[in-house]
Amino acid sequence: MKFDMDYIAHHNELTETNPYFKLFLTIILLILTLALDNLYFDISIFVVMSIVILTIAKISWRSYLKFLSIPMAFVVITCLFLIFFFGKGEVIYETGIFGIVVTTDSLHYGVYTFFRVVGCLPLLGFLALTTPIAKILHCLATFKVPKIFIEIALLMYNSIFIFLNEIDTMQKAQETRLGYHSYWNSFKSLGALASTIFLRSLDKSETLQHSLDSRGYSGELPIYEPRKRE
Amino acid sequence: MLEVKNIKYSYNSDYQALKGVSLKVEKGEMVALLGKNGAGKSTLFLHLNGIYEPDEGQVFIDGEELKYDKKSLLKFRQKVGIVFQNPDDQIFAPTVEEDVAFGPLNLGLSMEEVQDRVEEALARVGMSGFEKKAPHHLSGGQKKRVAIAGILAMKPEIMVLDEPTAGLDPQGVTNLTKLLRELNDEGITIIISTHEVDLVPNYAKRVFVLVDGLLIAEGSPKEIFAQPDILKQANLKVPIVTELFQKLEAEGFDMENDYPLTIDEAKDKFLELIDKN
Repeated sequence: MKFDMDYIAHHNELTETNPYFKLFLTIILLILTLALDNLYFDISIFVVMSIVILTIAKISWRSYLKFLSIPMAFVVITCLFLIFFFGKGEVIYETGIFGIVVTTDSLHYGVYTFFRVVGCLPLLGFLALTTPIAKILHCLATFKVPKIFIEIALLMYNSIFIFLNEIDTMQKAQETRLGYHSYWNSFKSLGALASTIFLRSLDKSETLQHSLDSRGYSGELPIYEPRKRE
Repeated sequence: MLEVKNIKYSYNSDYQALKGVSLKVEKGEMVALLGKNGAGKSTLFLHLNGIYEPDEGQVFIDGEELKYDKKSLLKFRQKVGIVFQNPDDQIFAPTVEEDVAFGPLNLGLSMEEVQDRVEEALARVGMSGFEKKAPHHLSGGQKKRVAIAGILAMKPEIMVLDEPTAGLDPQGVTNLTKLLRELNDEGITIIISTHEVDLVPNYAKRVFVLVDGLLIAEGSPKEIFAQPDILKQANLKVPIVTELFQKLEAEGFDMENDYPLTIDEAKDKFLELIDKN
């Protein structure tokens, strides 16, 4: 199964819920989690938000795990570094390699950072998995976030999907011709893929510019307000 | 009315894409621009609303010369809408309705007017109910419709479509052809670039043939498809029904130099031949 966050954001039980409410809830809880810096609070937020995502928004646990897995990997690595390489204070464990030690300080940092992130992830997940990006950008626009940021976000978001598609197609084409058959091959194929994507992105940006110009683009993306429906 | 006078355009010093193209399309016409890949069709189209500025030559719309300052460009781009070959190049907004609204909003219309136009355009292409959908979740045919709606919402006088049937399934092609004919009946001038010769006689009254940046022929589908040398130069073929009748002629049937181009014409011709023999 492929993990398509955007598809999930458009097809879950909370898609139509007021985006302002979701955005506020997320921001307030994020601030709370970061400010309180309390392990119990972190864990309870993690549990509560996971339950919300899985049972109320009805997002499959597989998708949710996939969403968590990538940042989790980063968090684990970061926290390991924190524990072994940072902090001063009383030494509580010696690895015996290059004098790398764990101190009370670093252990404290590592553990707290880990749980803080663990608490924040489902919060962000709640927003990202249940709210289509268009709605978030609309909210930001009404909060007077500078237009330029919103425009860049919008165009980037659009291009990401085109590129993911393109990478997917190219990768399949390479695999068909055994491009990833051996270790060395994989390097070469990946290099070719990256450079082609770069060239193609230049091409695409030019065509997009043409098509935007063609519809009277003036350098500023206007904001559409859909008619309110009952 | 759209007129192109002796347009020349080079991408760089050793490649001239257009070598002096002139053509004239009357108001309310539906014409086809035939030519092989790389003949310069897309390049020519990008001149029609001022995306490219020709090295030499002029473009006239309603008898008025196209100018390249901001204000006149906006005016001409409202009049001449281009539907790009690949809808992904055109659709950029996160929802269907926002994308369709993009053009009208750029024209500076009131929000209410824009909302009306969005609804109308989506209904016109049969995409009502998809307003809130994300474009990248739509099928190719649906994306094409949204792309057309985005242009329709600007209420253009002339609509230019770059290979609109490329990549569509047969049903999609039929639906699109029907839609374009309806739009033409409503008074929109339509210019289509294509190399699908089977379809051309169904909708086009006039055909232009572009080869290597030069217009080599112009006429009704009947006239164009009766010139094998032109077709050969342009890497084209006669429609498949026409080919059938040419083969029948080789078997000894007298066609009186009148080969059918569409299925309907072929049917009549068949009945006529059966009657005769």
